[in-house]
This record gives sequence, structure tokens and C-alpha cells, in this order.
Amino acid sequence: MFDWLTKESVLWIVPAAPLVACLWIVVVNQFVGRQRAHRPLVVAMFISWLAAICLATTIVPEKFAKGDHGHGEESHGAADHDHAAGHEHADHEHADHEHAAPAEEKTPADETTPEETTDEDEEESGAENAAVADSAPPPMAAGAAGDAVPVHEESSYGGELPRGVTYPVGNHAVVKFVYQWMKVGKVDVAVTLRADAMSALMLVMVTSVSLLVAIFAGGYMHGDPGYPRFFAAMALFVFSMCMLVLAGNFLLMFVFWEAVGLCSYLLIGYWYKKPSAAAAAKKAFVVNRIGDFGFILGVFMVWVTFGTLDFETLFGNPAFIPQVLNGIDPAIITTICILLFIGAIGKSAQFPLHVWLPDAMEGPTPVSALIHAATMVTAGVYLVARCAPLFVLSQTALGFVAIIGAITALLAAFTALTQYDLKRVLAYSTVSQLGFMFMSLGAAAADPVHLMQPAVTFAMFHMFTHAFFKAVLFLSAGSVMHSMGDVIDMRRFSGLKKVMPVTHWTFLAGAAALAGLPLLSGFWSKDEILAVIWDADRVPGYGLFFGAILAVALLASLMTAFYTFRAYFLTFHGPERFPEEAGHHPHEAPPAMAWPLRILGVAALLVGAIAGPTHLYAHYLHHTPGLPVSEPHGLNYVMMAVSSIIAIAGVGFAWMVYGKADRKAYNVQERYSPAYELSLQGLHLDAVYQALVVRPMQALSELSETLDRLFVDKLVDAVGYLPGIFGSLVRPIQNGFLQSYALVMLLGLVIFVFGVLRAIAGM
Amino acid sequence: MGDLSHLQGQLVVGAILFALGAIGFLTRRNLILIMLSAELMLHGVSLNLTAFGQYHGTAAGQAFTVMVLTVSACEAGLALALILTLYRRRRSLDVNLWSNLGEPDLPKLAQDILEVSPAPREQPLPKLTPAGPLPRYPKSAPPAAKP
Amino acid sequence: MTTWITEHWRLLLPLALGWVCVWLLMPRGPHRSRALAGIFGLAGLLAVKFYWLPPSGPLLQDIFFLTFAAMAIIGGVLMITDHNPVYAALWFAIVTLAVCGLFLLNSAPFLSAATVIVYAGAIIVTFLFVIALAQQSGSAMYDRRASHPTLATLSGFLLLGCLMFTLQEWGGQAAAEGGNAFLKVPAGTTANLGSVATEDLGSLRSVGRSLFTDYVYAVEIAGTVLLIATIGAICMAPRRSQGNL
Repeated sequence: MFDWLTKESVLWIVPAAPLVACLWIVVVNQFVGRQRAHRPLVVAMFISWLAAICLATTIVPEKFAKGDHGHGEESHGAADHDHAAGHEHADHEHADHEHAAPAEEKTPADETTPEETTDEDEEESGAENAAVADSAPPPMAAGAAGDAVPVHEESSYGGELPRGVTYPVGNHAVVKFVYQWMKVGKVDVAVTLRADAMSALMLVMVTSVSLLVAIFAGGYMHGDPGYPRFFAAMALFVFSMCMLVLAGNFLLMFVFWEAVGLCSYLLIGYWYKKPSAAAAAKKAFVVNRIGDFGFILGVFMVWVTFGTLDFETLFGNPAFIPQVLNGIDPAIITTICILLFIGAIGKSAQFPLHVWLPDAMEGPTPVSALIHAATMVTAGVYLVARCAPLFVLSQTALGFVAIIGAITALLAAFTALTQYDLKRVLAYSTVSQLGFMFMSLGAAAADPVHLMQPAVTFAMFHMFTHAFFKAVLFLSAGSVMHSMGDVIDMRRFSGLKKVMPVTHWTFLAGAAALAGLPLLSGFWSKDEILAVIWDADRVPGYGLFFGAILAVALLASLMTAFYTFRAYFLTFHGPERFPEEAGHHPHEAPPAMAWPLRILGVAALLVGAIAGPTHLYAHYLHHTPGLPVSEPHGLNYVMMAVSSIIAIAGVGFAWMVYGKADRKAYNVQERYSPAYELSLQGLHLDAVYQALVVRPMQALSELSETLDRLFVDKLVDAVGYLPGIFGSLVRPIQNGFLQSYALVMLLGLVIFVFGVLRAIAGM
Repeated sequence: MGDLSHLQGQLVVGAILFALGAIGFLTRRNLILIMLSAELMLHGVSLNLTAFGQYHGTAAGQAFTVMVLTVSACEAGLALALILTLYRRRRSLDVNLWSNLGEPDLPKLAQDILEVSPAPREQPLPKLTPAGPLPRYPKSAPPAAKP
Repeated sequence: MTTWITEHWRLLLPLALGWVCVWLLMPRGPHRSRALAGIFGLAGLLAVKFYWLPPSGPLLQDIFFLTFAAMAIIGGVLMITDHNPVYAALWFAIVTLAVCGLFLLNSAPFLSAATVIVYAGAIIVTFLFVIALAQQSGSAMYDRRASHPTLATLSGFLLLGCLMFTLQEWGGQAAAEGGNAFLKVPAGTTANLGSVATEDLGSLRSVGRSLFTDYVYAVEIAGTVLLIATIGAICMAPRRSQGNL
């Protein structure tokens, strides 16, 4: 009997639990039990995680079209109808109870929009499509209720419009209307939680990594004076991230997009007394703003073009977008996609704007693990994947995505080769892996109709596995740092294998997964990405373009394997050396840190193997509404073999250079070469930005400051002097002499009498 | 009804007295003479009142004049008391001494430093109409009786 | 403008003469041409006499009126221009006496007596006492310099011009119509004001009746004002205990 309660509640429990934890920490733990501030967060994360699991396993699948695994062409309309009809009766009884309150809030105007947020039960009935047909008849969908909707457009798109795109019908999102935010004219923004297959998987990833990182941070941050502040910000971050994933419209997504940026700022600058941390926080915030600017412009464009920001309206009915775009300049959709992608570039640290992420490592390591590796930076990938129904219409934008992804992947991997700061290696590898994800998304450019679904699927899959192995890598690095007295410079320690066995094994697991050693997580997901690019490469006309992309991806894979194991060998192999900050007894991580490491390590090894070859993940993700349907992809054994060879080669090369037990201490001077320097300095991009952006801006601001001081200030001062000048002009009138006043009074009297006389005498 | 031309003559004289009083009020710098000028203006007004009373053949004008008389007596008493108090502060009857409007921290305007007659030298005793021989002061004692 | 001046020269001539006289007499240092001022003043007075004060009744009454008017005006001019405050006070006494005479002509003998008693007997003496107390060294510098002599005389004579212009207009109208609305007793007030016979007008009885019937509240208020003024003067006046003057 609590079935309906669970159904309704799970959606908001996921973000609400960390929010409550945040408020609890701020209100209570700030004053009582400061050193126990992690407990509310851990409890809340556990609740949130359970809710997310429940959401992903029971709530969302209820909405899937039964028996439909993405084969949209095979009509399941009849089955759907029966199912829907059977449900309709039962659901309407429910609806009387559960939707009594929301139904009252509905205004008559709302009923014209069939994708109303509160009546998701009714959406399963075929009546919905009829309503669509009434209000805005789509070209072909009206007659094919409950069936796949093939969109055959004879429009100005010509060859660019994806012909024969098929969308699954019957897949729906779970939508929960929370609050009517604003309703001004046509702008109707509601706080709506919307969960579909994609967001459910994302939530599972976010909450599980957050839970483990919260536990880890409880040990890692122990004794820090700002303990409650840290966990409050972290709780706020998890809340914002969950809301970002669950957001039901673009505007809400943007709000929490900014909120995660804010939490990132707070957490990077957590040790705000450290100048480098403060600067890094500022840099991250400012660089992110550039991307966010593009994002909000994209949102505006979406609003102008489609007249709605609601995901359910946009993506819920597959015919909606092509219908609106019918006859509109195709450049518009390209512009929208590129603007949205600029937002993703900022958040996901892609090529021109990636410079903030390595610096963000100034924050506490759990933050790096959670925000700057596993969750927040993937928001850009999530955004592009979420907007796949838009991107599928613009090959140009997808190509742009692929180029940016390839450049980023290669450049970051190249930079990571020589970094001696362990966390920075991992940071660049994150940037590089995010580049892989975008490459995968962009691979759909070759043939959006057939490649979009695998592209999105494997990007999301790589994101999923990457979250686990990157989290374990970062947490292990944090454990090393914790043990080495906050020293993270790989030149100053080595051979930690014996001292820190748990950390060693977990780091190894993560590194192996990242390097893509066969049968581990990274192997499966990266292989799929390579496979997608390979498929794109085989599309006629795109061979050269995607051939280059594929080459870049393979090269980046090689570098990934190399630098990952370079870090591993430098840290855990070689002669045992400790920095003096570590004290005499470098210690293994305490249990609160060790157990999350172990769990994550196992997850890093197995997640890919469980979900990859079995297509569990892919089949689940295919139920995302609005995602185009294509044939299922088999495993690409050629690519698997190639990537295995590359990974093993990279690892072997790293072992040859750094793995020897008798190697000398790491010395930058010995290895100096122009290429090395280029890599170490990250292609001097920071210097380039300094020269191209920061310096001119500084000059401009100094100029403005001078102008302001010499001109505007003086102008303002002059305005201030004006009353004084006028006052001193009339001040002599107020001279204090009694008789002057009397004289003025008499003159006034004379004037008055004179005026009266004129009036009376009629002069 | 009284005589119109008589009334006009009275009114002219009243107006002239009033104007002279006003001029005196504006030009004299002696506080006491300012008061006297005001009394002069009151005279002009009283003249008007009685003239009209006579013209209309009522006693109302005279009743008003009695009121004016009363008020002017009160005014004179109060004003003299005030003038004495002011005099005690500055030892001068100059009305321009009492023109200090400005805030103490602001620079003075040119008018503020205008010719303000210095307080006259202190006199030991009021120089009433001398009667009999002048009193002899002890030579050692300073003439000032001010505490 | 010219036509206006030629039309109103009766009004403007005595004003101009009087202004020159008063302006010349204004205390502005040692040099004053009293003689010139006297000539101008006399001319002004004569102008006023001939153009404004026509003979209006019995000769004796006219003579008295003209005498008292001349006394009042000359006394007033000298009062406001004299260097010595004591003399000024004495000139004021003369003005008061002249005004009392005018009161007599206005059939107000009681008022005349009362004014003499109150002013000459009380106020002027008080003024003199204060002058004597406060200003022992004769005429001070501030008595020898007028403030705003030109402006003040100009504006004062402007006011006078306005008043006399009014009189001229009304007088002309009254003469033409045999009484202007402004000079009439309002219709409803006759009974209230208790019009009295001319021979009975200035008597103590009629004034007393008017005061204690029609204006009894005014009398009460006047009494209160006197009381308050007494208390105030006592409070404000410097005490011997706080030091002499």
C-alpha cells in the first residue's frame, strides 16, 4: 500500500537528503560536535544512494515500453495499448488519491499542454498522443499512436536532416512537479524533478561515489578546523548535482549548473588562507563563467526557437523538435548545439577552457575525487547527452564536439606525461578522459541517425566507469598525501608499496582500469568509444576526419596507459623514500579511508566487466526518451585487440622507464628537452592565456581605473561640489543679520501689497 | 458717517508713520531704537484704527487701539528685558553682533567679518543725569564693577 | 511709463522728496547735509499738504490736524535718523504726543490720555532708563551707521507708495460714488458694533461699554498677555545676584 508513496517520494528524497544534511551541519554541527560533522552527510548519502538505486531499479523501469529494447521499427503498439488500457483503469483510481492536490493546482491553461508534469500516469495511455495531435499535430505521429515515430521530412534541411530517424515511443520519464517557480507571460518555469534512464544511471553514479567519498573524507579531513564547513559544502554540492541531473527543464538545470560551480569554488578554495588555493578557486570560477555564458545563451536560443524549456515537452514527444524546426534555418539548431556545448566545455574542462581543472587540485583531495574527477566535470557530458535529440539534428555541432574532444584528449594526455605532481597527473588524465567522452559523442557526426544512440550510450558508459576508477585513483592519491604529510610531489617519495599496501592495490586497480588493461572497466568503456569512432570512420565521406580522430584516440590511449603507470611506478615502486613532512612512520590509511578505497577499487575493476559485455548499461540507457533508436552494437573485437595491445604497450613502456627497482631518484634537470618542457608546462597554455587574455585585461582595467580616477571620479566630485557652489552663491542671503531678514520681509510685503493692488484695481 | 477727507488725511499720516517705522526698523542698528521703530509702526496702525472708528462712528476702533496699546506695552517690557540680557552678554546694543549663524568649524564668510563695532569701553557706573558733585572713586580700586 | 508718471505725479512727487530727505538724513558717518535734507523734507511735507491733505472742515480743526501731523512726521523722521538714542527716544515721545493729538481729533480723548500715560509715562521712560543703563558713552558707532540705508529707505517708500496709491484710488472712488464698499459699515454688523453718537464716541463710557460687551474676550486675553509678559520680563531680566547688568 505504500507503493504510491515510494513512487512519489524517491524522486525528491535523492536531492532532499543531502540538502537536509547540509542544513543540519550548518545549523547544528557548526556549534555541537564539529568533529562529527561527517555523520549527517554519510547518513544522508546512504539514504540518497538507496533512493537512487530504488529509482533506477524499480521506479524508472516501470515507465519503459514493455518488450521494447530500442527496436522502434517493430511495432509494439498493440501491446502498449493493452498494457496502457489495463493500467489506465487502475491508475485512475490511484490518480484520485495521489494527484488530488496537484490536480487542484492545475489551471485550465495547463491542460492544453499534454506533457503536464503531474499526470505522468495518464501519459501512458494512448490519449496523450491524441492530445498532441489536437494541440499541435505532428506530421506522422498522430496516426501511429504508441508506435515508433519515423520522421520523414521533406524540408529545407535537405541532406542534413536525419532521414528515417526512429524514436521509441512508450518510454517515459518519471516527472514530479514540486513547485511553480515563476509564470510570467509565456515563461512558465516550474521546479520539476524528472528522471529517465539516463538521469537514473547518472544518479546512481553520483550517489555511490559521493557516499564513498563522504566516508573517506570523514577520515581524511579529520582534525581540520573547518570540518563542518567542508561537509556542509560537500552536502550542498551533492544536492546541487542531484538537482542538476534531475532538473526537469533547462532553466532549473542552469541554476544547479551554477550551484555546482559555486560549490566547486567553495571547495577548491576550502583552504582559503592558502594563496594558491584562493587563486585556483577564482580561476575555476571565472573560467567556468565563460562556459556558463554560452550555456545560458543556448538556453535562450532554445526558448526563442522552441518556446519551451521543459525537457518533457522537448524530448518527451519525439516529433516535437523536427516539427518545430521544419522550415527553419538549419544554422539555428547548430548554433543552439554549439552554445550548449560551450557550456559543456567550461564545466567539463575541454580544450580552450580546461586550464582551471589542474589548478583545482589545490582543494582537498576528496573534493578532487568527487567533484573534479567523478561527478561535476561530467555534467558537460551529461548535458550533451541529454540534448542528444538536438545534437542529432546538427552534424556540424557534432563534428565540433568531436574535434574539441580529440584536441583535449591528446593535449591533456601529452601534458600529463611529465607532471610530477601526482594529483595533477590525475587531473590531466581526467581532462583527457572527458575528451574521450566528447569524442564518442562527436562520433555521431558521421551518421547521426544510426550512431547517436551508441555514441551517447558509450560516452555515458565511459563516464560511469571513469567515475569509479578516477575516484579510486584520487582517493588513493589522497591517502598517499595523507600519509606523506600533504606532500604530493612524486619526486620526493617513492616505493610506498610496502608501507601502504591497501592504497597500493587500490591505486593499481584504478590505474589498470584507466590504462584500459583488458577485461577491466576502462577497457570495456574505452573500447566501445573506439568502436564508435571506428564505425564513424567507416561511414563514406567521413573516413579521413574520423580516421584522424581515431588515430588521436589511439595515441591518447597509449599516453594514458603510459602516464598512469608512470605515476604508479614513481609512487609505489623504486627505493623507499619519504619526505621529512611525513614524520618517521608513514602509516597506512585508517579504516574509514581504507574501506571506501577497497570498495571503489573492486568497483573500478568490475563495473565495466559487469555492465559492458552484457550490454546491461546500454540496454538500460536505451530507454531514455528522445534518444534515437538504432541497431544494437556488437563488440568490436578488432578494436578490443588493438586497444589491449596499446594499453599493454603503454604500461610496458612505463615500466621500462620508471619501473626498475634500482632506478635513480626522479630528476627534472636530467630529462630536460624542449618537448619535455612543453609537456611539463601544459603547452604553455597558461602563459599564452596570461599573455593573450590576462595581460590585455589587466592593461584595460588599469586604463579604466586611471580613467575612473582621473575623469569619472572628478566628475562625481564635481557633481558633489555643485551644491556647494550654488549654496555659496545663495549663502550671503542667509547672513544672520536681523535687518537683512527684515528687509527681505518688507520687500516681500511690498510685492504682496503691490500684487493685491493690481488685482483689486484691475491694473 | 464721518468726513471722508478727514479720514484720508489721518490715513496718510498713519501710512507715513508706518513707513517711517519700517525704515527705522531696517536701518537702525541699536536694539532699543529698533524696538522704538516698531512702536512707531504701531502708532501708525493705531491712528488708522481710530480714524476708521470715527469714520464709522463706532467705538470698535478705539477698543482695538486699547488692545494694540496693551500688546505694545507687553512687547516693550519683554523686549527691554531681552535687550538687557543680550547687552549683558556682549556689552553692546549692536544688533549685528547677534548674527552668528555659521557652524563653528566652517570658515567665516566675508559678511561675517564685516565691520562689527567693538564693544565700547566698560563704564564703571551708569551715567545718569549728574546731580551734585561727581562721586569720588578710590584711586587704587579699578573702575570695573564687573565680577 | 512717462504717461504713468505724469498721471501720478501727485503721488510720486512727495514720495520722491521724502525719500531724498530721509536718505540724506540716514546716519552714515560724520557728514550729513541736514540743511539740504531739511529743504527736501519741507518740500515733501508741503507737497503732501497740498495734494493729500485738503482742508476738510473747520479751520481750527485743520490747523490742529496739520500741526499734529507735521509734528508726528517730522518727529518720526528725526527719530529714525538721530545719532543719539536718547534724542531718538525723545523724538519718539514727541511723535507719541502728536499721535495723541491726532487721537483727540479722532474723537478719542480717553485713548489719547491713555496713550500719553502708557507711552510717555511708562514705555519711553523705561526706554530711557535702558538706554541710560546700557549706553553710557553717548552715541556709539553702530548708531552712527545705518545698515542698508538706500535699500531700506527705498523699500520703505515703496511700501508707502503702495499704501498711498491705494488711498488715492479709493479716495477717488469714494468721492465719485459717495462711499466705497470698503469704507461702508458691513450690513450685518451694525447692531453688534453698537454705533454711537459722535459726541459720545470718545467718552470713557462708550469705550468701556464696547470693551466690556463686544470685546470682553479681547480684554481677557489682553489681561492674560500682560500677566504673561510680566512674568516673562521678570524671568528674563538680569538679576543682581547674577551680576549687574
